Amino acid sequence: MSAEPHILVIDDEPQILRALRTILTANHYRVTVTNRGEEGLAYAAAEKPDLVILDLGLPDIDGIQVCARLREWSQIPIIVLSVREAEREKVQALDKGADDYLVKPFGIEELLARIRVALRHSAQVKGSSQPVVSAGELTIDLARHVVTVRGAEVRLTATEFKLLAYLASNPERVLTHQNILTHVWGPEYADSVEYLRVFMSQLRKKLEGDLKQPRHLVTEPGVGYRFMLGD
Amino acid sequence: MLLLFATVPLVVFILFPLREGLSTTTVALIFLLPVLINTTYGGLAAGIFTAFAAFLAYNFFFLQPYYTFIVHESQDIVALVIFLVVAVLISQLVGQAKKSLAESMERERELSHLYEFSLALTGLNDVKEIAGVIAAQAFELFQASTVRVKVQTMNGEGPYFVQVPAQGENPEAPPRLSSALATARGSLGEIQIWRASGQEQASQERILQTFASQGALAIERAALVAAETRAKVLEESDRLKTALLSSISHELRSPLATIKAAITSLLNEQLTWEESARQDLLAAVDEETDLLNRLVGNLLDMSRIETGALRPNRQWNILAEIVDGVAGRMHRLLKDHRLKIDIPEDIPLVPVDYVQMEQVFTNLLSNSAKYAPKGSTIELSATIQGEELLVGVKNEGPQIPPANLERIFDKFSRLTESGKVSGTGLGLSICKGIIEAHGGRIWAENLDRGIAFKFTLPLTLDGMRPPVIEME
Repeated sequence: MSAEPHILVIDDEPQILRALRTILTANHYRVTVTNRGEEGLAYAAAEKPDLVILDLGLPDIDGIQVCARLREWSQIPIIVLSVREAEREKVQALDKGADDYLVKPFGIEELLARIRVALRHSAQVKGSSQPVVSAGELTIDLARHVVTVRGAEVRLTATEFKLLAYLASNPERVLTHQNILTHVWGPEYADSVEYLRVFMSQLRKKLEGDLKQPRHLVTEPGVGYRFMLGD
Repeated sequence: MLLLFATVPLVVFILFPLREGLSTTTVALIFLLPVLINTTYGGLAAGIFTAFAAFLAYNFFFLQPYYTFIVHESQDIVALVIFLVVAVLISQLVGQAKKSLAESMERERELSHLYEFSLALTGLNDVKEIAGVIAAQAFELFQASTVRVKVQTMNGEGPYFVQVPAQGENPEAPPRLSSALATARGSLGEIQIWRASGQEQASQERILQTFASQGALAIERAALVAAETRAKVLEESDRLKTALLSSISHELRSPLATIKAAITSLLNEQLTWEESARQDLLAAVDEETDLLNRLVGNLLDMSRIETGALRPNRQWNILAEIVDGVAGRMHRLLKDHRLKIDIPEDIPLVPVDYVQMEQVFTNLLSNSAKYAPKGSTIELSATIQGEELLVGVKNEGPQIPPANLERIFDKFSRLTESGKVSGTGLGLSICKGIIEAHGGRIWAENLDRGIAFKFTLPLTLDGMRPPVIEME
């Protein structure tokens, strides 16, 4: 593997491909572009890039199918590009294995941040995750089940902690409702979004200073939640 | 009717005892009475019959020799003959008068029916309804057993078929009376009448002509009114389309103009830019891009609403979470106002589409920020009202003229305000589309100092309350 991570961009829009190639190269990534889904899949199988950026609006093949097929044989991080109106599409892609998403038009800072997070997450060896997560004034000790805000301990119920822990062990990555519900409550709760809403609300009240602009427990409208590490 | 047979015998019975005291002339005169009575009540034929019956009775019972039909006195013969002549004349005259009266009354009846018909037709603009009225009135006027009306307008509406009585059997025979419903412009249909044989055909046909032409005129009028209405609607629709296109064009091209100007300046190798100027231009491009993105979003939302493609994905949500999220994102836009949020703790979960509800709050707050004076308070509150959630967004902006309270939720309506206001004018109509797709209602009210946007949302999803969360 070369020093610069290798990104494969699959998008049918030539202007986007051009812009992304320029920008990502300037940010020290090696970039390959293609405008066909099948070609992308073949390339990914052959060259094994470090990350795939996939547009869900591909004309020749359903972007969600691309995710599913990639996931059949690879854990390569996938970031999907979608539009505001297509929540179901985003959620489906995420549930089929995409790691994160961006809504067009996106700012490049956001894209670079997502790429960093995705690469970091995939580089993490499973099981060697940090026992203590530090996010601004919030500290979560996953081993001892202790949560402090500005040094003061905050009492959380068992489920609240489980929820927080799951989010915190996937920092900066979007997690769909279904994903969180399945991991924290179990597969039979996969559609019970109301549980998630209520418990997230409780967590926020206990941990966040300004509910209007939560620092860590961020809502991704229509999709899920994201744990941000903050400043 | 049978009593009429009794009149002559009655007179005989009354006069018989007085036979000796009365002169034959007097008797003759009195016998004229039953003739008169029977003609009045029985008609000409009855009158003639009575005349002859009276003649015979007079002769038999009251002229010498009694109980015979022979007459001895020549004066009596004269009296008898004259009696008969007078009696018959009386029957004829009275019969005629009676007939004339009956005819007059009949004519009056017809006229009054035609007048009623006229009245019934005024103001009717529905061709089918008119056909029904024609059939019903014809049924009355012609005392028909069955009436059938067929109507087809020159606009191509119809053909409508009406039959009175509706459940009647199909008449086998051809109709006794029929007429086309036609005006100078052409035939609009047909009316067919079945009736028991009765009055003269000729006069009935005459009346039918009048009737039919009135009906035809009414149909024609209704069709013309319909055509005019359609033309007006098309005109209004065209006007709206023109306004719409003009508005969209301006709104979309203005940010593009800024972007083009900025970018071409920066691309221009002849010019050198100071870093701060360059940053300004680039910042402008960034902002205008965001604005364009919002505008495109608005247009797409409006399209989805119009085509019915807006299917809310309703799930149980915490209202405060949605509101907080919007408030946070609009932090900068609301910096010149004080936002007060009042959502009680005990508001239950609400079944809404998260993203669409965000849009509603964004639009209402943005509208408030646009029109409310700087420094004023914008208040967002929620309460339970029966089976519904009631949400209000109040601001201290200018009042809305009562006539416009509903119109502001139309596409592209914009209150004339001094100073330019940005946006497509779609914000409120998008709110309306979303709220209504959720089964709620949205409206605006004028308050003492400002206005309030209010909307309701059902609190049940498919008839069910929110599930109970098992807490620990």
